[in-house]
Amino acid sequence: MTVDNRQHLVSPDGKWYWDGVAQTWAPVAPPHGDVWPPNEEPKQRQSASPAARAATRGLSSFVGNVRSEDLAFGQTVLVWARWILIGTGLVLSFWTPSDLLTLQVQLAAIVALAFGNFYLHVQLLRGHAAVDKVVYLASLADICVVTALVLVQGGYSSPVFIFYFAAVVGISVAFPSALTVAYTALVVGIYGVVCLATAIPDDYPAIFTRLLMIAAIAVCGNLFARNESHRRAEAIRIHQEVLDEAEQSSPSLQKA
Amino acid sequence: MSNVREIRTSAQADQEDVFFGQTVILWARWSVIAAGIALVLWTSTSISHLTQTIPFFLALMAMNFFLHGRYVMGSPLNRAVVTVASVIDLVLITAIVVLWPGSHGLNNQFFVLYFPVVFAFALVFTRRIEAAYTVMAMGAYAIACFLTGTVALDLGYDDKVLVMRLIVIAAMGFLGNYYFRIQRDRLARASEDSSAKSGLARTPIQPALRGSGS
Repeated sequence: MTVDNRQHLVSPDGKWYWDGVAQTWAPVAPPHGDVWPPNEEPKQRQSASPAARAATRGLSSFVGNVRSEDLAFGQTVLVWARWILIGTGLVLSFWTPSDLLTLQVQLAAIVALAFGNFYLHVQLLRGHAAVDKVVYLASLADICVVTALVLVQGGYSSPVFIFYFAAVVGISVAFPSALTVAYTALVVGIYGVVCLATAIPDDYPAIFTRLLMIAAIAVCGNLFARNESHRRAEAIRIHQEVLDEAEQSSPSLQKA
Repeated sequence: MSNVREIRTSAQADQEDVFFGQTVILWARWSVIAAGIALVLWTSTSISHLTQTIPFFLALMAMNFFLHGRYVMGSPLNRAVVTVASVIDLVLITAIVVLWPGSHGLNNQFFVLYFPVVFAFALVFTRRIEAAYTVMAMGAYAIACFLTGTVALDLGYDDKVLVMRLIVIAAMGFLGNYYFRIQRDRLARASEDSSAKSGLARTPIQPALRGSGS
């Protein structure tokens, strides 16, 4: 995501842009101003938007300043998915721990994830959704943590692989399709290799099922997110048409 | 302003949710069917094994052909039928967990089939229905594990694994429905902002879209 790719922040009718800091839609141009059409002007306005300026402060400034609307909304799902992973992992770590090293790795990974998630959650509560790259890196960290836990527990035989599902749910609804595919392929690839290296051939069907279900979750989530995006665009279009119709008929009504 | 017409009612918004969401449920079910049939063909070691296991997935496939066909023809089924079909999914998956030759209950690796089914359902229905469905899935799996004698109530490793799986099933339902409610709220806000910024009065679309969002 670069600054030049911010067309997705503009509403389907091109008249509004998403202010990630204020969490509101702001007009790209006055309804009857001289700066129409919006295709060029929004980019200039966005580059100087409060969202872009605010992103130059804090941790976000190290990784860019692009905040995507869809990602901002999906981020809450990601954050809650991660809290579920952290809470469950923490409780289960103390339930019949196998050995000290495993427990140490588990707790270190979970605590690190908790700090990162706390930062992201605080940002959301303050109305400052984290910039895209921070969210992408955090999701990568989720995958790394789950993979580390799977590895220290023996690979295929580890029951914690199911946390990949929670991570992929958040990714599938929050990220664009291309990135969802990339992240899911990463999860399937890494977990597939880990399983193949640690399982016997009799277990391959079970591995296949697990990988297919991870991919299915990603497809379902992303399909729904895309459907909703289309519905929203259509709702805005229909609503705008009705409003335009009302505006056009108002003068005639007044004359009458 | 007199000709600002009502765009959608609450009931229509609910129907739209089922219509658009139905495709997610259909694809989730196709993934379960694909996994199941591939596994049955892959792991079968005898004719009797194959004939015992394939009917589960053929039943699901027949149901999904009917539902997908109706959807493609532009006459999707109502929420009651979609709900019943989703409950049948749970029944069949639980039957697989209980009856699968060779591995039952907690040892059966087909429990992952619950995840896409619960997640897809949560993306379509309101919170109360989704919660009931998720609890039903969790209950069905827990009962299946206990009935098959693969889990003992001794708070040992098996109980830990079962609890972990139940938590993830619950997480699928919660996260899916949480996102569903966010999207419904966004849809309402998009229209709300559109009319407010234009300086025109709100049309009935806002209360309609909020409808039964939670």
